[in-house]
Amino acid sequence: MTDRSYLGEFELMILLAVIHLGDQAYGVPISREIERNRGRDVSVGSVYAALERLENKGLVSSSFGDPTPERGGKAKRFFQVTQAGLRQVHETRRVLSELWRRLPELKGERS
Amino acid sequence: MRQTEPQSAATWMLEHLTPGPRNEALVGDLLEEFRERRSAAWYWRQVLSAIAVGCSREILNHRTVLLFAAVWSMLAPAWLLLLARMEEHFNFSARIWRMDWPWSTVCDLGSMLAANLFFIWAGIFLYLLPHLWATKNLRVRPLSRGILASLPVLLVVWVALIVLPKIFLQGQVVDQHSVPPVSTYSSRQLAQVEIQQVSPQQQWDVRYGYKVIDPYNDPRNAIADMRTAALAVRLPFFLTVLCTLWGFASRRRNRIAA
Repeated sequence: MTDRSYLGEFELMILLAVIHLGDQAYGVPISREIERNRGRDVSVGSVYAALERLENKGLVSSSFGDPTPERGGKAKRFFQVTQAGLRQVHETRRVLSELWRRLPELKGERS
Repeated sequence: MRQTEPQSAATWMLEHLTPGPRNEALVGDLLEEFRERRSAAWYWRQVLSAIAVGCSREILNHRTVLLFAAVWSMLAPAWLLLLARMEEHFNFSARIWRMDWPWSTVCDLGSMLAANLFFIWAGIFLYLLPHLWATKNLRVRPLSRGILASLPVLLVVWVALIVLPKIFLQGQVVDQHSVPPVSTYSSRQLAQVEIQQVSPQQQWDVRYGYKVIDPYNDPRNAIADMRTAALAVRLPFFLTVLCTLWGFASRRRNRIAA
């Protein structure tokens, strides 16, 4: 089912950030990673909303760590990309690369 | 000097005003980020944004319920018209008002409430029918909870619609057709409002024009009525159906997710 639906821009960014961060993928580093690349503030609430959508689609899974004092005794929620998530990222990359690859040819035709 | 702790009001809002299950991880993330490098303004922005995102997600998740409640409440004026027609035929209120006070008032309000609840519960049953058909499993507990919850919601909105005109219409002269039917009782009994009484046929003519020969045979005009008074009539029905089905839809969604 998920093979046929493409990822949104924000969802793709989050999936890539989760893959990049590996074992340390929880709310704060994911948001920082996206902020660093976009160059502007990101709402952590939106990041969680997107992560929950991805989890419902079966593209990521999550597990809770131990509560820590610097977080007011709240546990971290770690995210991991599933096999379906990895397939989806590759598929989206393939489609986008193909589209980008054809772009100069279109420009060339115009000129 | 930089604050080391975020404002407790913001944290309280984040924990209590964000719809859905409490997101402890989000609360911890914002606290961690604030303590490390962020300002109070950033924390407030994040809290407000999280609440807005939570609200929009809840609305999106319940869009079917919202749409159904809107459509069903659109039919409410037609239902009230049908009741008025039955009342005209059987003349229940004349029999009720022959009773001594307070029984006359109790019966009057009770019969109105029962008639409205019947319409609301019929809508709820209609909404649940496809779900029951699909799952072949009637879970009585959430359904009965929802139906019981509809009663206080309806009462609260009803009382609001009775009390508010009393406050705002005190001492005024109003046309009968400009007062929502649920408030007519209040205008008649509680507020010192002089209502210009007109016959049902005249009322209908004023509302929908003289071209309608027999309006009681065509409730489509009542369904299409979009004036403020007609919208106020729909409000208790809309809110009651919405509140009842909202909880049912949430539980169903959680069950599917689990």
